[in-house]
Amino acid sequence: MKNSFDEKILEEANDWVTANQKVVLATVIQTWGSSPRQVGSRMIVNEKGDFSGSVSGGCVESAVVRECISLIKDNKPCKKIEFKVSNESAWEVGLACGGEIAVYLEQVS
Amino acid sequence: MKLQTLKSIIEKKKNKSEFAIITNLKTGESEIFEKDRPLSKEMQIYSNQINEFFKSKKNGVIENSEIFVETYILPIKVIVIGAVHIAQYLVDYAKSLNFEISIIDPRGYFASEQRFPDIKIINKWPDEAFKEIDTNENSALIALTHDPKIDDPALQHALNKKFYYIGALGSKKTHENRCQRLKKAGFSDEQINLIHGPIGIKLGGRSAPEIALSIIAQLVSETYKK
Repeated sequence: MKNSFDEKILEEANDWVTANQKVVLATVIQTWGSSPRQVGSRMIVNEKGDFSGSVSGGCVESAVVRECISLIKDNKPCKKIEFKVSNESAWEVGLACGGEIAVYLEQVS
Repeated sequence: MKLQTLKSIIEKKKNKSEFAIITNLKTGESEIFEKDRPLSKEMQIYSNQINEFFKSKKNGVIENSEIFVETYILPIKVIVIGAVHIAQYLVDYAKSLNFEISIIDPRGYFASEQRFPDIKIINKWPDEAFKEIDTNENSALIALTHDPKIDDPALQHALNKKFYYIGALGSKKTHENRCQRLKKAGFSDEQINLIHGPIGIKLGGRSAPEIALSIIAQLVSETYKK
């Protein structure tokens, strides 16, 4: 059974949009090996870098926030990013658990 | 994702319907999939795979494609017997989980809206109350009155309908007596053993919020065993 315990992140995204904020949804779409959060886990980020929810156990959130802010700045609709242990910036944002995740960023428009 | 799509997802969640969000990862276009609702032309070639994800209630990217499927299942119905102090904390915990709580209590002074805002309260005896709730093997029962007049008919209903979780509050002695009564009513040992009694996992706490936590922990654990 999946997805039964819902976190109301999309509801929060709608509240942010209503408050005239630009919002990016960041969703875990694939995982390989041991990963802290399952596929479908989600966080939201606004143009100021405020965020809610999570896509990992705190390992890659800072990088996701940065990516989301530049998505808004560049006015791009979507982007896929992958995090691996072998990532260049692994010392900062790698997944300590040795897993890999793909996160999909999309602007609410 | 379009704001309009986001809003209709929230609406569908509120109305407790089962659906999936289909996203084309290349374009960022997304649409809502429901049983018996046709997919857009560009998604139709994936309809078999989408149906499979939907049936197995899984999220993921369709193999060899750029299509992401995210399924939303119905919240689990949890029927609480007794609008008692513990129930107030149960309702609080359930808010952050996807449980849909209904409370049955024929005693009007307990089951008031003021004590339980935004919760469905049925002010009737269980036999009558269950006529208003559609229950099945995906439902859960938490009996909290430890009054046989109120708890027993509810437990019998839950056993007959094969609820996946049935818990009853009360000491070991209270539970023993309860089992005897159910046996007399014609239930087998096998059925009776399905009841979690005394209810909850062992936390050691005795206060109402602690008992509520131990119950909700057991409920979540049993939900993942389904």
